[in-house]
Amino acid sequence: MQLKREAGWYKDTIIYQVHVRTFFDSNGDGIGDFQGLAQKLDYLQDLGVDAIWLMPFFPSPLRDDGYDISDYRAVHPRYGTLEDFKSFLSVAHERGLSVIIELVANHTSDQHPWFQESRSSQQNPKRDWYVWSDTDTRYRGTRIIFLDTEMSNWAWDPISKSYYWHRFFSHQPDLNFDNPAVREEMWQVMKFWLDLGVDGFRLDAVPYLIEREGTNCENLPETHEIIRWLRKRVDDEFPGTMLLAEANQWPADLRPYFGNGDEFHMAFHFPLMPRMFMGLRLEDRKPITEILQQTPDIPSTCQWAIFLRNHDELTLEMVTDIERDYMYDIYATDKSMRLNLGIRRRLAPLLDNDRRRIELMTGMLMSLPGTPIIYYGDEIGMGDNIHLGDRNGVRTPMQWSGGSNGGFSTADPEILYSPLISNPLYGYQAVNVQSQKRFDHSLLSWMKQIIRVRRSTPVFGSGSIEFLYPANHRVLAYVRKLGKETVLVVNNLSSAAQAVELDLKQYKGNILIEMFGKNIFPRIGDLPYLLTMGPYQFYWFRLRRI
Amino acid sequence: MNMWDKIVSELMQVLHELQAGVAHYLPRVVVLLVIALVGWLIAYLAKVTVRSILHWTRFSKLSEHTGAAQLLNQAALPSSTELLSRFAFWVVWVGFVLLGVSILGIVGLEDYTARFFMFLPRLFAALVILFLGLLAASFFSRAALLAAVNSNFRSSQLASVSVRIAIIIFVLSMAFEVLGVAERTVMIAFGTAFGAVMFALAIAFGLGGQHLAREFLEERLAKKKPHVDENELSPL
Amino acid sequence: MAEEVLLNDEFLRQLMNVGEVDIVVGLPTYNNAKTIEPVVRAIQAGILKCFPRERVVIIGADGGSQDGTRDLVTGISIDDVWRASKVYALRTLPVVTTEYGHGPEHRLALRTILSAADLLRARACVVISPDSTTIEADWLQHLVQPIYKEDFDLVAPVYRRQKFAGLLMRNLLYPMTRAVYGSGIREPYASEFAISGRLATDFLGNEDWNGDGARSGPEIFVTIMAITGKYKVCQSFLGVKPAQDRSSDLVEAMRRTVGPLFSSLDGKFGYWSSVTSCQQVPAFGPQSEVTLEPLTVDLARIREMFVTGVGELDAVFKSVLTESTLADLRRIAALDLSSFRYPAEMWAKTVFEFAASYHKSVISRDHIVQALVPLYRGRALTFLLENQEASAEEVERSVESLCGEFERLKPYLLEVWGERK
Repeated sequence: MQLKREAGWYKDTIIYQVHVRTFFDSNGDGIGDFQGLAQKLDYLQDLGVDAIWLMPFFPSPLRDDGYDISDYRAVHPRYGTLEDFKSFLSVAHERGLSVIIELVANHTSDQHPWFQESRSSQQNPKRDWYVWSDTDTRYRGTRIIFLDTEMSNWAWDPISKSYYWHRFFSHQPDLNFDNPAVREEMWQVMKFWLDLGVDGFRLDAVPYLIEREGTNCENLPETHEIIRWLRKRVDDEFPGTMLLAEANQWPADLRPYFGNGDEFHMAFHFPLMPRMFMGLRLEDRKPITEILQQTPDIPSTCQWAIFLRNHDELTLEMVTDIERDYMYDIYATDKSMRLNLGIRRRLAPLLDNDRRRIELMTGMLMSLPGTPIIYYGDEIGMGDNIHLGDRNGVRTPMQWSGGSNGGFSTADPEILYSPLISNPLYGYQAVNVQSQKRFDHSLLSWMKQIIRVRRSTPVFGSGSIEFLYPANHRVLAYVRKLGKETVLVVNNLSSAAQAVELDLKQYKGNILIEMFGKNIFPRIGDLPYLLTMGPYQFYWFRLRRI
Repeated sequence: MNMWDKIVSELMQVLHELQAGVAHYLPRVVVLLVIALVGWLIAYLAKVTVRSILHWTRFSKLSEHTGAAQLLNQAALPSSTELLSRFAFWVVWVGFVLLGVSILGIVGLEDYTARFFMFLPRLFAALVILFLGLLAASFFSRAALLAAVNSNFRSSQLASVSVRIAIIIFVLSMAFEVLGVAERTVMIAFGTAFGAVMFALAIAFGLGGQHLAREFLEERLAKKKPHVDENELSPL
Repeated sequence: MAEEVLLNDEFLRQLMNVGEVDIVVGLPTYNNAKTIEPVVRAIQAGILKCFPRERVVIIGADGGSQDGTRDLVTGISIDDVWRASKVYALRTLPVVTTEYGHGPEHRLALRTILSAADLLRARACVVISPDSTTIEADWLQHLVQPIYKEDFDLVAPVYRRQKFAGLLMRNLLYPMTRAVYGSGIREPYASEFAISGRLATDFLGNEDWNGDGARSGPEIFVTIMAITGKYKVCQSFLGVKPAQDRSSDLVEAMRRTVGPLFSSLDGKFGYWSSVTSCQQVPAFGPQSEVTLEPLTVDLARIREMFVTGVGELDAVFKSVLTESTLADLRRIAALDLSSFRYPAEMWAKTVFEFAASYHKSVISRDHIVQALVPLYRGRALTFLLENQEASAEEVERSVESLCGEFERLKPYLLEVWGERK
């Protein structure tokens, strides 16, 4: 049964992204599972997050880390059973944690029974469930997403002697959403999980649902029709369910996915994320303010999902060539870090394990408009292993302790689903939950604190944003407002101390109360408000008229 | 007593008075001569000292700059260094002589002596004014000449000489005024001449050179860019 | 210290907001509203094209413009360039202007720019003339790259010119700088140049800033300081030389260039008196480029001005020149246009005698410079007559030959200089 939540609960939520496989192994087989995850829900509750987004856990050949699904209504045996999942869900709800699961609607694994049937013959009833063609020339001009591995969006099927359409790996044939049966089936899949009690879906690869000749086969009007249809069904039968769109597009192109509040509730703000990293290294707020200025208003019931890192590469699709080159040169000097127009590294290694920068970036994540998503392990500063192939380097086991297997599993290290990070800097002996729990000054403790402060006011989730543009371009400053609550956020993007004068005339008479230490700062007067800031320092001030 | 005795007695009295007079003035004259001699020696020393100082400060060069050297040369006068050192000599010696004369105690002469000494500073000031004036006249006349030549102004020499004369007249007037010589005459004459010249220039510039006047004012006050001669090549 | 007096609080505050930069681009402005916008846009385009990742600031040092120049400079946004050319700006490009005084003074403008470069710890400082109507986006790269890549300290420009433009440069400034200082910089007086942050800091610490030379011609002063201070100097080809109204006033041009050049000889005697040969200055791009489009010049008028000058300034020349040189001048003044020649050797001697007289201050130094003007006209006339039909190579050979004369007669300069220091 779904957790009882107020309408719009997702706007004031902090989401924790995790793959069940990576979190905790309860049965010693070297792979994380739902029972293990359930055991660790205390940790998440203690951290302060209030929603979990689970990466795909359906049965799958696992050639794309679970995004190639072979059964939509089950749990992969490696991770447990459906009962395990139900049990986990129940425990999560007891702790007030909503659960959001992945729904890879655009495509399935080529091992899915539907595809097996579809390819078997041209007359098969499920033939039309996928997009077939006698030639590979249709939909010319459509970009290839996995550039490093795929040469074409068409793959030849030797069994049915024709081509099938795939926007991702060739073993992930696209479903044909023009077929009403496919749509209805997908709704039934959603209903299955909603009946079990999940609180939301992250719909993977939504821009690509529909193809049309003469277009780029992305973001087509028909796609939005399908989404509206699904949304209506969800609202009618399971109100309060949240739908989150994964659409790697420019903000203006993302806007339609919110519709008039009748499509997705949330969508990832992909273009913001690389610009935060860029602004940090440039020591210039320009990339961040520009993209947010270009971000259109969305319906009041909708929300952006913002993040620093996730399970995929740090995507550089939505940046200009100059920006991409810059990001590569700065953040991925080793070419093996680069994958598919992105950088496959975790948060801490990207920031050179610099605690101040990690805090600053997290501070911006928590204070910019949107619902923040924390990628598992980033709260303790986990490292990565770029030599693990594809994006597996950022999907290593969670590091719980300095003991055997990092406390992740009792199995032999050789059978772990992935080697642990074990170098002296990021290895589980140095970076783990157990040791960080002990100290108030650890990154984990600090994360808990900032989450606590963020949750102390709804202004970050639901408030408006107004950028201040102080003359010092190394400082990113903005005001968040919701009703009578006003919060001033000031971020020093520079590695050197900075002085900044803020024009706060319109808030004259207010005193500033720094939100972490709750100390009083001078009253705002007629003159520009002078702040001096240490390297990478940030302030959150609550304004108070007293 | 008969007439002859009276005459002898008067003669004796006059001789006696004469004796007394000589006895009174002779020592003073001797002192005067001594003072004059000493004064001569000191004046000579002063002359040598002034000459050395002027040599050391290269006064002759400065004098050349002002054009004074040329002027003196043309007037067949000695060089300015020599002139000044001789002047110093005469001033000092005359001073001593007058000092000696004052010892004679001749009433009226003392008054002139005092006046002489009071006149000296004004003489010195007038000389300084004249010297500086010659310096300025030389500088500005050369400046006018150069500006006129480089602007391709036809009457550059005329302009240069006019400037020099104007300044010299002005300076001479000042010098005479300081000396107190024919003050009123000089002032009126100078005022009349100066006013006439200015009036003539105003008419020439304002009426005859209207266009030029407008251009000049526009360039100076309206910050208009100066007219670029199309025939001029860009030198840089 | 003069530096504290120079930078006003408002400017300091703006610099504080800019922070550390890699490149400072300085614009010494005064009533340049007509030309400033395209210049700033070209600079912005150059930054976007050639230095998109560098931290750059544009500093406008204004002498009290009344035509809104300052507002024009700050009003041009980098985003306009993006809108026009779709070249994206990675960074904020701050534009800062300040008024350094009432009335234009190049020395103070340059000092303001160098002070900003010093305070902001810039690697390179580029000065661009606000009148540079022919500036292109690449100029910035040509000026800055040698500092960035090759660690040079001064980058002087090389321009493409009509063969008869810049005669003062080619007949006096270049040959004399080359002969006296042993440096082959083609444009020792330039309104566009670049210096390293290191050199900028050293300039500011130099006492000579307050001397006559720096006051009247800071640009040539900068070049001479770089040459004599053993800094790494090079030159870089830019493009077409912008036309500059101001310097068509020949007297003013000579005051700004010849005066400071002569003035520099006093303080640098120890250096130049021991220089015996010319060091090649590394060049990026061609050393000189000359275009041959026709130009109409009134040669007779130039001769007339020379003759008038020789005649009217005889008394002045007597103080400056030797008897023999003066006699030669009188002889040349008597020549008609067809046979008019002011030979290179004589010209070199003339210039050297003027330099020596300047040193001895035989008359007011400014008057000495002014007196040289008609004689320069004579030399320019000779150059025009000799090269009327000349090709670009022939013009270059002519200039080289003149330089050779200057170098050969350097001992003569030492001789007339008088007392050795």
